[in-house]
Amino acid sequence: MMRIAFVTTYPPGKGTLNEYGFHFANHLRQKDEVSELYLLVDELPRGTTYPADEPAEDGRAALFYRPCWRFGSWRNAWRIQQAVANIKPDIVLFNLQFATFSERRVAAALGLLAPWLSRQNGTLSAVLLHNIMEKVDLHQAGFGGSALLESVTRLAGNFFTRMLLRADMVAVTIPRYVEILSEKYKADHVVLAPHGAFETIPQPSFNLPPGPLQIMTFGKFGTYKRVELLIQAYERLLQRVSHPLELVIAGSDSPNARGYLARVQAQYAHVEGIRYTGYVPEEDVPTLFQAAAVVVLPYTSTTGSSGVLHQAGSYGKAVVLPHLGDFTDLVLEEGYTGQFYMPDDPLSLADAIEKLLLDPGFREDCGRRNYLAAVGLPMSDVVDWYLLHFERLLNRSLAPDEVYQQAMVFK
Amino acid sequence: MQVESEAMQNVQVVRLKGRFDAFEVPAFTDWVERHVKPSHAQVVVNLEGVEFIDSSGLAALVKGLKRCREYNGNFVLCYIQQPVLIILELTRLDKAFTFYEDETSALEALSA
Repeated sequence: MMRIAFVTTYPPGKGTLNEYGFHFANHLRQKDEVSELYLLVDELPRGTTYPADEPAEDGRAALFYRPCWRFGSWRNAWRIQQAVANIKPDIVLFNLQFATFSERRVAAALGLLAPWLSRQNGTLSAVLLHNIMEKVDLHQAGFGGSALLESVTRLAGNFFTRMLLRADMVAVTIPRYVEILSEKYKADHVVLAPHGAFETIPQPSFNLPPGPLQIMTFGKFGTYKRVELLIQAYERLLQRVSHPLELVIAGSDSPNARGYLARVQAQYAHVEGIRYTGYVPEEDVPTLFQAAAVVVLPYTSTTGSSGVLHQAGSYGKAVVLPHLGDFTDLVLEEGYTGQFYMPDDPLSLADAIEKLLLDPGFREDCGRRNYLAAVGLPMSDVVDWYLLHFERLLNRSLAPDEVYQQAMVFK
Repeated sequence: MQVESEAMQNVQVVRLKGRFDAFEVPAFTDWVERHVKPSHAQVVVNLEGVEFIDSSGLAALVKGLKRCREYNGNFVLCYIQQPVLIILELTRLDKAFTFYEDETSALEALSA
């Protein structure tokens, strides 16, 4: 039985990857191999609290909330390491992307030292890295600047990637990322672990509620998820499609782009039929997806597999996606289908959406295939993979020769 | 995907042929459900006829492994084809499974 610490953002915290953290933790708790799960989460704004700790019951591991870091702070790595030292888990798993700990370079980078610090302290550490520096568009991620500043940021990124690779295991969600980390950094402990579907749900209804056909997008907007192109495409569709339409922009600003949606709302105030939902609570997510005729992923760069795509698949939704190299490959490899558009062309996006709106049979067929792709690998199965790796690491921690061999790889 | 099996020396050998993807997974998981029991938890999976496996296929193998372990048994693979080996190595699940070159050596190991 394992005692696991999980460093993550988590609802009601609104940091990026909070929903992934929520679902991952939920499945981890249900595994027989896990006895206690400690969530090392970010501190919430005043007036908001995490739920109470939960004892082990009904086959679920005990769950403990330990707020121990703060978005934007320089001290996160140290504080997390202290929390890990107090808990003494068998292993600590970090749910990370490069901007998990801050929207500012130095604080973001220093936070990424946490896995290394934990390992230095004698705790096995594993990292789930959702993007890698080599594939991050710095400008889109909110770390843009002059060419010199971006070069320095990349160099620093290489250094901090090496520090992340000091963890006992690093998991990524795209095969190409394994190849890049293995080749560039000579790392032999990077594993491919698919994103996984958040929920295993029964076959959804493919019927839509009465009313306008909803074109929906969901996420945290302002960095690599931007809605301007979508709104421009929607304006064209309003002229072309006779059926009433509604554009639903569901979600809030990315922590790295505060005020973005308010600016967009002001800029496109003249466009009718756009609904901005703001933050969508977990319990409202099913209704949001079920009501959508088409789900659009308005991404401008690749940042790994898409949680929204998996959610859309889970609800049997047809999707419209940007044609971006790695992202397109990943979508197709995972068995999803959709209408692709050129990322900088509103006409291309309007065409892609229109094809699905006007052909209910095709739309339903896409939705069914996406549903099968989504349920093909539930997150519960992905968590099993992690636990197999954890068991191997725990067994290996008793074999000093192998630990020595891995240490030599980084010399 | 074809799923054929036979019991040999208290070990169950299951031979798979075809694509091992999300659409084919139920055939294999059904076999595991029906055949892997506390008294029959020694399994050799012959992958000679499998040239493609996706993450769902891998997940099905992991479930088989977990089930056999639950019953204190073994779940080993043999005749791994290169495309399958590549996926196993990418996921590092090659470290979780035991491989044998062929059925004979797998059977010898499990019967020992």
